[in-house]
Amino acid sequence: MSSIDQTSRPRSRQSLDADRLLTLACVGLPLIGLILFFAYPMVIVFLRSITVADGYGIGNYTEVLGSAGFWRATRHSLTMGGATTALSVFLGFILAQGLYRCAFRGKWLIRGIIVLPLLAPSLVQALGLIFLLGRNGVISRALGIEIEIYGFWGLLIANTLYALPQAVMIIGAALVLLDARTYEAAEVMGASPWRQFRDLTLPAARFGILNAAFVCFTITITDFGNAAVIGGDYSVLATEIYSQVVGQRNFNMGAVVGIMLLLPTVISYSIERQAMKRQQAGQTTGQVAYQPSFSPLRDLSIATVSLLICAGIVAVIGIVIYASFVKLWPYNMSFSFKHYNITLAGGYSSLWMTIVVSLGASVGGTIAVFMLGLGLRRLPQALAQPIQILAAMPAAVPGMVLGLAYILTFNSTATPLYLLYGTAALIAIINFYHYHTQGFLTVITGFRQLPPALEEASGSLGAGLGRTARDIVVPFVAPMLVSVFFFLFMRSMVTLSAVVFLTTPNLSVAAVTIMRLDDAGLTSQAAAFSTCVMAVVCVAILSMRITLALIGRRSRNKGMA
Amino acid sequence: MKTWMQTTALTMAALGFAAPALADDLTVYTALEEEEIAAYVAAAQAAMPDTKINVLRLSTGKLGARLLAEAGNPQADVIWGWAVSAMMDPQILDMMEPYEATGVEVLPDRFRGENGKWFAPIGYMGAFCVNTARLEEKGLPMPTSWADLENPAFKGEVVMPDPNSSGTGYLHVNAVLQGMGTEAGWAKLAAIDPNMAQYTSSGSKPCKAARVGEYTVGISLAFTAMQSIEEGYPLAMVFPEGGVGYELEASGLMASSDNKEAAQAFLDWTMSDEAIGLYQSYKALITIPGVDASKAAEAAGLPADISTILADVDFVEASTQQSAVKAQWKEKFGR
Repeated sequence: MSSIDQTSRPRSRQSLDADRLLTLACVGLPLIGLILFFAYPMVIVFLRSITVADGYGIGNYTEVLGSAGFWRATRHSLTMGGATTALSVFLGFILAQGLYRCAFRGKWLIRGIIVLPLLAPSLVQALGLIFLLGRNGVISRALGIEIEIYGFWGLLIANTLYALPQAVMIIGAALVLLDARTYEAAEVMGASPWRQFRDLTLPAARFGILNAAFVCFTITITDFGNAAVIGGDYSVLATEIYSQVVGQRNFNMGAVVGIMLLLPTVISYSIERQAMKRQQAGQTTGQVAYQPSFSPLRDLSIATVSLLICAGIVAVIGIVIYASFVKLWPYNMSFSFKHYNITLAGGYSSLWMTIVVSLGASVGGTIAVFMLGLGLRRLPQALAQPIQILAAMPAAVPGMVLGLAYILTFNSTATPLYLLYGTAALIAIINFYHYHTQGFLTVITGFRQLPPALEEASGSLGAGLGRTARDIVVPFVAPMLVSVFFFLFMRSMVTLSAVVFLTTPNLSVAAVTIMRLDDAGLTSQAAAFSTCVMAVVCVAILSMRITLALIGRRSRNKGMA
Repeated sequence: MKTWMQTTALTMAALGFAAPALADDLTVYTALEEEEIAAYVAAAQAAMPDTKINVLRLSTGKLGARLLAEAGNPQADVIWGWAVSAMMDPQILDMMEPYEATGVEVLPDRFRGENGKWFAPIGYMGAFCVNTARLEEKGLPMPTSWADLENPAFKGEVVMPDPNSSGTGYLHVNAVLQGMGTEAGWAKLAAIDPNMAQYTSSGSKPCKAARVGEYTVGISLAFTAMQSIEEGYPLAMVFPEGGVGYELEASGLMASSDNKEAAQAFLDWTMSDEAIGLYQSYKALITIPGVDASKAAEAAGLPADISTILADVDFVEASTQQSAVKAQWKEKFGR
């Protein structure tokens, strides 16, 4: 990038320079963010992992690698990661296929329900599964047998519920932009629907499928919440970290496990990148949106599967909402509002602060991943590759490790970053970087469908990067940006694991209030508060969707005039 | 880059994101229960009108992680009501400063740190949470001791916290080991292990699982048991014969505090007559001689003389043996 002033053609020099500067800014600003708010804290975690009694050394690593518990947890984590990934990507592909490539009614319902696990506080999913499938759950009681949910199967269901919407988001980003004309051509040439699917859809969606698999695997091996509530004795690496850090105040050993969790992630992502190199990116210009026509066998079966999955999700979340309105689940089922009278100091006030924080995280985050995706397209592969790996890494860090890393990093007066400690801004920042991977991969999956020729044409017509971005790229990837925005918003509203370490006496967020209620034994109030959070998120999302639709209509009208 | 960050941070501060700490602010970290915190702080605030008392409540384990992570630049002025076995961790004690709070001299030696860095006028107990509805449904006998849980009829019906993840787990394991003697204690735990459905990472989880009928017996905390009974769950709180484990809730002064005067005044308040009066309505376990907890204890269905149900616990030994016991436990029962 030091070659800015080496351009030889003086006539276009000015605009080229502006372009390079813009590329630099597009990559540079998000990159500085990634370095300051992800790489730097993780370096500090790494330093803790090699801190031993007399300075630095690998003693902690040999100790962890030598313990039987670690290898058992590793085996469990990898098995669970693999199983969850396979299930989530398989179901996620069916759902995405249904949403974007099939013709049936009620897609809005599926689209709305599928994201519920993202906007539900983790307590809701945990309670829901236990109330539904537990030994004394609704289904056990109805069947008269005791289902043993705690352990592998319970954990698999819980992890899949959480991973599935993210798989749909990323695979959807690959499917939504497939060019209709290719399919028309295939139709004309007599290719069967199955052939079209195998030779057109699947290869085009490969990038999205691999990215989704990567995300599902990573979030599964780093998840602690599900493992703690429904994993029973199925110990995983995240529980191992918890036991070291929270149970035994053994920071450095926890840091070792945290660092080791990065390994499978970096390796799998690098392999994925290599695999993708072989595939030609992008498509031809002048795409025509695909309008699926009704095909009974395909559409009805996919719609059925989708509705079944949705029914499962609704049951898990609905039962907790229901339980928040009964006197004493499961012993006194009479209706009551009493749990909505939050007795905890502060009551509902944390809710409003959380909305502000979440808007900050989602607006800032969406802009940052868009800029990064845009800029990376213009960088040489050798330079883009390491940045891509860095951008895909945050999901590999368990929330607790990230939260503690933030304390270690930002609670130090050595740098001006200290000004951020204890502020709402830092909570917004950690929420964004905690979910950076998902946002980034969704956007670049979308970008991959963007025909390079379109950008080139726009460039040769004299439009600079800024203009191209505004007029060509943004409208093209807008659906992805919207899903990233809502994803970040929903997660920021309810995520706990990282944020719990950054709250202060004067600054609390909704997820922490839920935890405090549950800690105080007031689980029903925690469920009631969670219900309110979910309601607020739904209302917020609906109003934002309506606003977006209005803006979209107005700009279309303007375009026609 | 630095300037950019500074500008950003300043902008955010200007936007009202940052909450500047006032000189008279006192930051207190605690693991006491929300309900009692509210009552104590209201009274303490009235007694110290010139200081704004800010309280951060986290569970015992998370509070420890937070304190250690902040060790480079501690934010708290006071640690208030935190498990003494956690407080005695050398990493924590290094951050604290000796302070003899007014009134602390009445406490027997074993409820005060030798180094003067902590004192513990109150504490909490473990308990078995027994779901009476499930007990009846399964036709199980009411367990009254650890030995009763060996009964094969309880297979898969007992849950307890993992001592490696939870202070409550260690509280129980330690009480069994110290109460029965090391060898007999390990044998007892080994005999119950086959009946144990799971070892949880949270200390209150076993009681919460038992109260909704997932399991019959949750080896957990008396506080959660009492709270659940009050909510109306079909739960019985059982203290095992031979003594139940308990934990002291210790307080102390952070050496790094920049508001020591207020911090000391607050610690003094926690030993004041007013505070002691409040302990009597919230605490079943008070270590101040001559102060009986009968009001709170009776309300909770405890004997007026609580000492009859407590295990004979040596906290210094419990703390020094901690790592060894946890490692041994993991080797024997880790799943």
